[in-house]
Amino acid sequence: METIIRTEKVDKIYYQGRPEEVRALNQIELEISKNRFVLIRGPSGSGKTTLLNVISTIDRPTNGRIFLYGEDISKYSDVQLSRIRQKTIGLIFQNFNLLPRLPAWENVAFPLLPLGIMERERRKRSAEMLIQLKLEKRLDHAPEQMSGGEQQRVAIARALINDPELVIADEPTSNIDAESIKTLLDILTNLKNKGKTIIVSSHDPVFLDYSETIFLLKDGNLIDTKIIPPTPL
Amino acid sequence: MNKHLNFLLTSIGNILRNKVRSLVLILCLIAVLFPFVTALSISEGIKFQSLISVEEGADIYVTSDYFGSNAPISLDYLEGFRKMDGVTKVYPRIVGRTYFVNRLATIVGILPENIPPSIRLAEGGMFREKGEVIVGKGLAKEFLLQPGVRFSLSINPSQLFRVSGFFDADASIWSANLILMSFEDAAEFFQMKGKATDILIYTRPGYATKLAEKIQEGAGTSSHDRPEPPLRVQDKTLVKRYFQRGFNYKAGVFTALYTVAFALAIPALLIVSGFGQTERKKEIGVIKATGWQTQEVMEMVALENLIVSLTSAPLAVLLAMVWLKWFNGAFIAQFFIAEIGLMAPFPVPSRFLPLPCFLAFLFAVVLTMVGSLYSTWKTATIPPVEAMR
Repeated sequence: METIIRTEKVDKIYYQGRPEEVRALNQIELEISKNRFVLIRGPSGSGKTTLLNVISTIDRPTNGRIFLYGEDISKYSDVQLSRIRQKTIGLIFQNFNLLPRLPAWENVAFPLLPLGIMERERRKRSAEMLIQLKLEKRLDHAPEQMSGGEQQRVAIARALINDPELVIADEPTSNIDAESIKTLLDILTNLKNKGKTIIVSSHDPVFLDYSETIFLLKDGNLIDTKIIPPTPL
Repeated sequence: MNKHLNFLLTSIGNILRNKVRSLVLILCLIAVLFPFVTALSISEGIKFQSLISVEEGADIYVTSDYFGSNAPISLDYLEGFRKMDGVTKVYPRIVGRTYFVNRLATIVGILPENIPPSIRLAEGGMFREKGEVIVGKGLAKEFLLQPGVRFSLSINPSQLFRVSGFFDADASIWSANLILMSFEDAAEFFQMKGKATDILIYTRPGYATKLAEKIQEGAGTSSHDRPEPPLRVQDKTLVKRYFQRGFNYKAGVFTALYTVAFALAIPALLIVSGFGQTERKKEIGVIKATGWQTQEVMEMVALENLIVSLTSAPLAVLLAMVWLKWFNGAFIAQFFIAEIGLMAPFPVPSRFLPLPCFLAFLFAVVLTMVGSLYSTWKTATIPPVEAMR
């Protein structure tokens, strides 16, 4: 199976060299295959979010290397990393990070602006995406007018608008209700079935039944890796 | 192309969505730019008016020369100058200064037949009898003078004057604090009998330069010896140059003061444009995380600033126009016109030229760009996760 992400001795150290130095990730070595549902587990403060940030290129490792499709991207320039995020990675943040003054469709369409896609087409594409996520009545609503679950689906739509290979979600169940969790799982499962690679960081056991690869982190160390044969979803 | 159009439209959207921030920024820019535009317009207006005055004045001005400065000249020269070839008219003038109560006034003494026909009176009549004077509207307004009122002046309190009329309020600014009287009255007042501060010579077209050279060399003087002290001859070109230099100096002083204010405005605008910066920082982090590049973020912010500048600069020019028309350039005109106080008692001249308006726009661009581009660049170049924190 083709490897999409590989890390090699990745460290992330905050306040390096200072008394308050924190080693958030320590010599992380992992490999993620394409079209897998990957769960990164661990207690709070174990480094799950930091690992996701580093893998998704929105943060840089202090040491070590990260390979995307075999290409070392750890020394990539800011421009190159932006291109990767634009084309290959869709990010779903724990607190959604929607732009508060924009309606749902504009939030979803924002990544399309630098691609030169004009408003009519942007609206069409984001509407299609939001309709798929059952948000057809929320196109023109601002984030504050939506529930947590709805906001999360807008964030998912934004992550998927550029049709990325890799969908990364950080603690996606922490700010939504039980029904929204079910919807979320359906969405992620569908994406997996469409050939996407899903990486989720969560301590929520709800993902255990869906995950094919589980990395267990503790105090910034990768202490266990479980590769589960794919099961029918 | 579509990409840049997208950024432009998004920038407009951002400005409209962040109404309070945009409004505060535009108001700050107007507050900084409007005095600058007003001042430059006044400076240009005065310069223009003074050049017209010079243009309408004599072709040659002759005074005595004491250590390189103008000094009173004897009236004995008049006849010699009148006889020179190319001269059409010669007359003496006394120009001096004194205090009218606490206000510095300019006294001009001139023979009645030499009063320029362009002089308009708002009230009363021209002086005819000894002691009669025409007073500027500025002085009249400030000291509630009426035709027929008698007064004396500080240098020679025993000499009494009587107001015969006022200059028109729309006359040039030079007439606001002017007291125009007969040549004899002025000579008596300054105790300079037989002398004038300058002799004005009008010439036929094309003669002025040659005549000025001749007078400087001693021609036209009746004495057999070289005149003592030497004469100081200034033709129209030279006078124009003096005026120009004077105004450039004043505009320079204002610009220096303005530069200080401008320097102070930059940190103020940094704070204002940083208004809502925490939210902006997070936004930049989010859009970078979704694949935007630093230069694209910068382009959008630069376009926002450009639109804000394009809005602020014309508003500043408009406000300057209103300020000059309705408030007569209050507080600012005093930088350029001596002794007028906060509110000028006469219409302050102004002239709006394209360059100051363009400079206003340029300053607005510089201020907004300095205020926000650096912070945007700094935010956009850190890892998005840090910007989103």
